[in-house]
Amino acid sequence: MASASSRASAEGKPSFVEESLYEVHRKVHPRAVSGIFATWRWALVWFTQLVYYGLCWLPWNGRQAVLFDLVERKFYIFGMVFWPQDVIFLAILLIISAYSLFLFTAVGGRLWCGYACPQTVYTEIFTWIEQKIEGERNARIKLDAAPMSARKLWLRAAKYGSWILLALWTGFTFVGYFTPIKTVWNSVWSFSLGPWETFWMLFYSAFTYLFAGHMREQVCKHMCPYARFQGVMFDPDTLTITYDTERGEPRGARKKGIDPQSIAKGDCVDCGICVQVCPTGIDIRDGLQYECIGCAACIDACDQVMEKMDYPKGLIRYSTEHAIEKHWGWKEIIGHIVRPRVIIYATILAAICTAFVWGIATKATLRVDVIRDRATLAREVEGGLIENVYRLHVINVSEAPHRYAVSVAGLPGIDMVGDRIIEVPPAGSKSFTVQVRVPAESGKKGSNQIFFDVKSLADEKVAVHEKASFLQP
Amino acid sequence: MLRIIWVLWPSFLVAGVAEVIFFTVIDPQELYLFGEPMHLSKIATYSIGFLGFWAVCAGSSLLTCFLQRSAAEVNKGVGAGSSSEEGCGK
Repeated sequence: MASASSRASAEGKPSFVEESLYEVHRKVHPRAVSGIFATWRWALVWFTQLVYYGLCWLPWNGRQAVLFDLVERKFYIFGMVFWPQDVIFLAILLIISAYSLFLFTAVGGRLWCGYACPQTVYTEIFTWIEQKIEGERNARIKLDAAPMSARKLWLRAAKYGSWILLALWTGFTFVGYFTPIKTVWNSVWSFSLGPWETFWMLFYSAFTYLFAGHMREQVCKHMCPYARFQGVMFDPDTLTITYDTERGEPRGARKKGIDPQSIAKGDCVDCGICVQVCPTGIDIRDGLQYECIGCAACIDACDQVMEKMDYPKGLIRYSTEHAIEKHWGWKEIIGHIVRPRVIIYATILAAICTAFVWGIATKATLRVDVIRDRATLAREVEGGLIENVYRLHVINVSEAPHRYAVSVAGLPGIDMVGDRIIEVPPAGSKSFTVQVRVPAESGKKGSNQIFFDVKSLADEKVAVHEKASFLQP
Repeated sequence: MLRIIWVLWPSFLVAGVAEVIFFTVIDPQELYLFGEPMHLSKIATYSIGFLGFWAVCAGSSLLTCFLQRSAAEVNKGVGAGSSSEEGCGK
């Protein structure tokens, strides 16, 4: 915040401007817009929300296809089951997400913010509801200013009511990813939802309602850490939403079809529609600003105006700093995508993705932990044998039940007492005790290395060779 | 309002990260409460854990906000008796 205020004062503006946005907030009423980028944004809204609202209902092998089962501490993602030991995959996934973000941002600016971020997507949906109920931008501004009446009360109730219903459904879906959604559904209708599930459902709903309904662009401007540091991934070859100042200025109103040069003006007719459609309420003609989420609404809006004026489209367009400066076309812009920064991000990303896929593909479907029973150390049993006791924990990570053969090796005359064949259910585990016996003269005094072999009876390749130590007194 | 968000929001983000890391490494069933094993359900433990992390992180943010007040703001409180308006980060 200090930097924002000092920047504001450096520009000669009073430093309270930044604060006043948060405290005495000027409400942004974005004007609806249509066009190619609006279509893209809606396509992304549909795609992300079909995945979010729909995926939790998808069955798979008699269970929920995607379920982050916190109680059992297992994450199910289609055919895969992840245990806490697999946390490395989660870490790699986060690194992949981060590098993808770096790469996309370096090439195409804030693509994530403009098209895919949940904040953008839900704001889009909530604004759409608002527009359907209260009307277009001007009607909404008028309604805001109007005194309370029966009509205003009804419109407000309808809007907030619809928002609340959607928010509740979103919160319900959220909980459905952690507790099987059909259970949650039945519990909700029989009023038997657990207190914490209820809490998280309402918590997530309240945040959705607040962020998408009321805070909107303020979340991007004041609360999002990414908005603050995305600038470091930008360079003069990064595609951003750019107003062509050279072509547009000096701006000014004029009649349709007038050649700008004949009135010594630029192409910008100063209609202000680019400002009206902006969900963050900025003027793109002031240049690149951190408040710009790159949604391209102003491009669609300006193109329509240019079309009406019979001027060429693209006064506001996706372009780069260099391209504007040097009057490059798309060919040169594309030619400058490959540059050291992009190559570095792409190489690292490709390497990590390869490692991730390889790791998932070769993920062991069987895990064995051997713990020596420390209470008994070693003892002599009948027949002059020395016995050590171990606890074996066999984890079947696969989706099918497995029978495993357990054996021990590593010392002359070694043998074991206990289950030699064990059955472990799918995505389950079994703990059991094994007594290992060795002749007293076998091995050296002290610690000896031995091995437990656990092999699947169905598939020989599924086997674990686990080290342990045998204590000879 | 602004200061409340400055305290609660970053702490919320960091608490989320802390929650994931902590409970990935530690199974709630391995936790002891005043020497007794926990009798709470796992969902309850995760939830209380998150709220606890959030509270601790918010405490840290609050202190940061408090210590970031400039000398002028602190001094103003002594003389004029009102300094609460100007806040964090100034």
